[in-house]
Amino acid sequence: MKNDIKNNTGKKNKLIDNKEEKNKQTLNSEIDNKTEKKSNKKNKPKYSLEHKKFLNKIRLKTFFVIFIQITILIAFFGLWEILVNNGVLDGFIYSSPSRMINTLAELSRSGELLTHSLITLKETLLAFVIATGIGFLVAVLLWSNNTIKRILEPYIVVLNSLPKIALGPIIIIWFGAGTKAIVVMGILIVIIVTIINILNAFLNTDKNTILALESMGANKAQIFFKVVLPSSFPDIISTLKINVGLSWIGAIMGEYLVSKAGLGYLLVYGGLVFDLDLIMTVTIVLCFLASLMYFLIALLEKIVKARH
Amino acid sequence: MNEIITVKDVSLIYHSKKFETLALKDISFKIEEGDFVALVGPSGCGKTTILSLISGLLTCSSGEILVNGLKPDKKSKVCGYMFQKDNLLPWRTVEKNLYVGLEIQHTNTKEKKDYALSLLKKYGLENFKTKRPDELSGGMRQRVSLIRTLALNPKILLLDEPFSALDFQTRLKVCDDVLKILKDEKKTALLVTHDIYEAVSMADKIIVLSARPATIKNIHTLTFGRDKTPFVRRDMKEATDLFQKIWSEIQDEK
Ligand SMILES: Nc1ncnc2c1ncn2[C@@H]1O[C@H](COP(=O)(O)OP(=O)(O)OP(=O)(O)O)[C@@H](O)[C@H]1O
Ligand SMILES: [Mg+2]
Repeated sequence: MKNDIKNNTGKKNKLIDNKEEKNKQTLNSEIDNKTEKKSNKKNKPKYSLEHKKFLNKIRLKTFFVIFIQITILIAFFGLWEILVNNGVLDGFIYSSPSRMINTLAELSRSGELLTHSLITLKETLLAFVIATGIGFLVAVLLWSNNTIKRILEPYIVVLNSLPKIALGPIIIIWFGAGTKAIVVMGILIVIIVTIINILNAFLNTDKNTILALESMGANKAQIFFKVVLPSSFPDIISTLKINVGLSWIGAIMGEYLVSKAGLGYLLVYGGLVFDLDLIMTVTIVLCFLASLMYFLIALLEKIVKARH
Repeated sequence: MNEIITVKDVSLIYHSKKFETLALKDISFKIEEGDFVALVGPSGCGKTTILSLISGLLTCSSGEILVNGLKPDKKSKVCGYMFQKDNLLPWRTVEKNLYVGLEIQHTNTKEKKDYALSLLKKYGLENFKTKRPDELSGGMRQRVSLIRTLALNPKILLLDEPFSALDFQTRLKVCDDVLKILKDEKKTALLVTHDIYEAVSMADKIIVLSARPATIKNIHTLTFGRDKTPFVRRDMKEATDLFQKIWSEIQDEK
């Protein structure tokens, strides 16, 4: 009897296995059909065996890279936790992942995390958008008029080398110790770099291509939109990526000075009361938000590229 | 026939902060409507400079140029200028590259686009319509650039070594084709080339320039085999004789 039952269950399992395999197969073939239909639509030739091998190789490599990246991350936090737990590192000074998770839970329960994050995010985005927008327009103006460019060049160079934090007191006196001052600080940090980078991209456009279009009768606006802007696209995107980082710097620096609210304020506060858990947690949150914004820009890049 | 291009006592100096370069000195010649004129001379003598002047991209330092009765103006759309370098826009597909000129001149109608595409087909590039320029070979890119210029249907064509990146076979074929198109549509063309055979087989007139500063060394008017294709004309006795003559004229300059 027992044997029978065992046999039965064994068979059942096998049956199930078979079914699952069949399901998988049908699924696979469906997917294959779909991709084939798609490729038929696009009139793409079927890939050769070598090309498939090539694709597989690339996929394998990507998989490997991602795997290692995740491993490093886990190892880092894991090691940190273990060292603190075993008393090698002092948790009071170095905090630890588990303590950070607790702090994070506390902060989000009290709603502080959200309010402070939103404040900093708002300041960062405002600085980013305003500075990038104005910086871009100024770059266009400087590109379109060589005389204006030459007149303004020394001022831009000086402003670029000036450490913006030095302007902190002035900004606070002029704009009040609040959001406005922080945004202005962010704008000052971002705008000069934007102007310089984007203008350089514009100026590096191939002269011959511009001449070729000019010989077809193109005016300045046409040259800008048909040659200069598209050829500067990669540089503009990398400027945006740099600006993400810079506007976070601006916002946090502004909050250090103003010290009223925001993640920067939390950091200063954490420093004053010697709360390393708070400092570490906020730093991680900052990392997360900044990389989120960076990926949004990367996504924008992909979308724009796909369109053209 | 009437003169469509008049160049009179033209000199040109390139200015830069450190020095000036006299590129052209007292150049004078005339081109009649429908003529196919070749410009030959040693490298760096100022051939491209002459085309740039006629197209209106440069202004001469002294002398006078009239194109279609007027001062050269790049906005006039009289001249189609094909550059020595193809200058295709790498972010556009081949097809979109052809339409650039049409877009600029606000004439990108279906009719004109179809004409451009028909030329693409004629030059065997139909299948590369959706490709990007950097997926093409040098010769293919040059053909696209030529079609882009022809698509604008300009009255005068300024061609700066248009066939230099083509292989010998294609080159002979494209020469025949281009000349036929130009003659059929009664276009005027000024062709810069370093290939004397090309000049001798295609042109109605050959202007030989001296080394820089360029002056006119000689102007040959070709009367033989004008009804023949370049391919045939290339092998005529007169052609080989003229080749020898121009060859030694340029050789003297080097
Ligand atoms: N923008 C410029 N500034 C200064 N000098 C220039 C400039 N363009 C050309 N030149 C000089 O003028 C002379 C003629 O140049 P050009 O380009 O017209 O020669 P080319 O006959 O077309 O030569 P190639 O057969 O090599 O194309 C050259 O000696 C060059 O050094
Ligand atoms: Mg040249």
